[in-house]
Amino acid sequence: MDRNNESRASRRDILAATGVIAAAAVVPSAARAQTAPAPAAPAAPAAPKTLDMPGKSKELIVLGDKPLVAEAPAHLMDDPVTPTDKFFIRNNGLVPEITGDPKAWKVKIDGEVERPMEITVGELASRFPQVSLKLMLECGGNGRAFFSPEARGNQWTNGGAGCAEWTGVRLADVLKAAGLKSSAVYTGHYGADPHLSGDATRPSISRGVRIAKALEPHTLIALKMNGQDIPLIHGGPVRLVVPGWAGSASAKWLTRIWVRDKEHDGPGMGGFSYRVPRAPIVPGSRGDEKDAVIVEAMPVRSIVTFPADGTRLPAGQRKLDLRGHAWAGETEIKSVDISVDFGVTWKAATVAPPPNKYAWQRFTASVDLPAAGYYEVWCKATDSAGVTQPFVAGNWNPQGYNGNPVNRIRVLAQA
Amino acid sequence: MNIGWVVTICLTAFFLLLAADRAGELRRDRYVWTPPAPPAAAPPPAVPPPHSDTVEDLPDGKGRDTTFYACAACHGVAIIKAQGMSRELWEASFDLMIERHRMPPTKPEERAEILDYLAEQFPPRRRSRGGDNPFLR
Repeated sequence: MDRNNESRASRRDILAATGVIAAAAVVPSAARAQTAPAPAAPAAPAAPKTLDMPGKSKELIVLGDKPLVAEAPAHLMDDPVTPTDKFFIRNNGLVPEITGDPKAWKVKIDGEVERPMEITVGELASRFPQVSLKLMLECGGNGRAFFSPEARGNQWTNGGAGCAEWTGVRLADVLKAAGLKSSAVYTGHYGADPHLSGDATRPSISRGVRIAKALEPHTLIALKMNGQDIPLIHGGPVRLVVPGWAGSASAKWLTRIWVRDKEHDGPGMGGFSYRVPRAPIVPGSRGDEKDAVIVEAMPVRSIVTFPADGTRLPAGQRKLDLRGHAWAGETEIKSVDISVDFGVTWKAATVAPPPNKYAWQRFTASVDLPAAGYYEVWCKATDSAGVTQPFVAGNWNPQGYNGNPVNRIRVLAQA
Repeated sequence: MNIGWVVTICLTAFFLLLAADRAGELRRDRYVWTPPAPPAAAPPPAVPPPHSDTVEDLPDGKGRDTTFYACAACHGVAIIKAQGMSRELWEASFDLMIERHRMPPTKPEERAEILDYLAEQFPPRRRSRGGDNPFLR
């Protein structure tokens, strides 16, 4: 509670200090997009379609409506803990119809275990200790839109990610209760979402992780999102949260965890699905599926969440206080650098430690703009292993994973 | 007076007062037990907006109808229109739909018609870095 008030207060201070609140009120990006006159420049694309759904922000951008996929513009990712209404949406199939008692929802644990079991949501909550953690959930294809030529799939910019507070039981505790056999090497996750065709015999997707990740103490069978029952669209009443790894492993509407004695082979595990070529290939070429490796941990990424892309600074303002979030799948962010001159010079931002492992980290910086005019604010994060973001998404792959170039937002400093 | 009468009157008075008390007649300012109200009906879960693509949502061209009915049987047209690829990569997408998503097989001439349509209507696009500049609007 104190923490929330503090963060709200500090946000107000920053807003007041920069005076950008006035500018933001005059030109909120969504409103601007809707009220703008017909674009004069032939290259200007149509305004993005925004989501109209109860309980969800009207600023989420719809990438596809069947299956429903929506991303957050960067300024919607400004909260330290992503509120549920601002959280991105990714589906692979249809949204299941959930009726009856959520506490009676059953999850089956079978395969390479001594004691296969079917456990209800109510029993999960009463039998196992619960933990609350702030965990990154990110679509494996986040950043795909930065590839050129275009890569296959939903054209995410950076908005397929969020850091909500998830409450649930550790998957490790449940697997240990079932008794893992020595042959257990991988998991296969299944959810209740029907295939897009409506064919009940086809799972929409079924991915899994190496057993070590399944046993990692931050990997949860989640029962609550931000302290509330998980909304249907986010996988309620029960889902997996496998933080830091491609989001498709975090099955929504969880019905089954099949412990495998080999790498899981469900839909979404083969070909170039969540896989990238072992060696770089020519951008735009077909590649060879036989030489592909699985995408596990997500790459280093940073985004400026304030001010919003497209902000006009008040006349005369040359000081820009900005902030954002940075994260990496399995490592901690050590530094974030900011440039307002296209990478010619850089300035170190202040980076806060994460509240727990697998949470994103806040960075703040104050930069001086030398004169009125057009500026791009670039941010580049570097993790504890010294791995940083490339300037372009050069690691082209047919389905566009690991697109994490330096992020940029555009501001206009008015005379 | 007969002791029996005294006992009868006392007991009758006692039970009458007890009944009045239990009915709340004597202590109107106190809370009276009422059965719990049935729980308010939960609001219906927020479901995605309905999906209603039509053939006209794809650009006109030879093979449009065949493409629409083959592809939109499962997914929306937005994902098609969001991409621009060579015929070879569209073909790889087509194979992905069959292998990964178990799309029903199509006749060779239908497959060719769909791939020709996709390659013609949605070729690779050079995305201009400055083309969407917010300050040009």
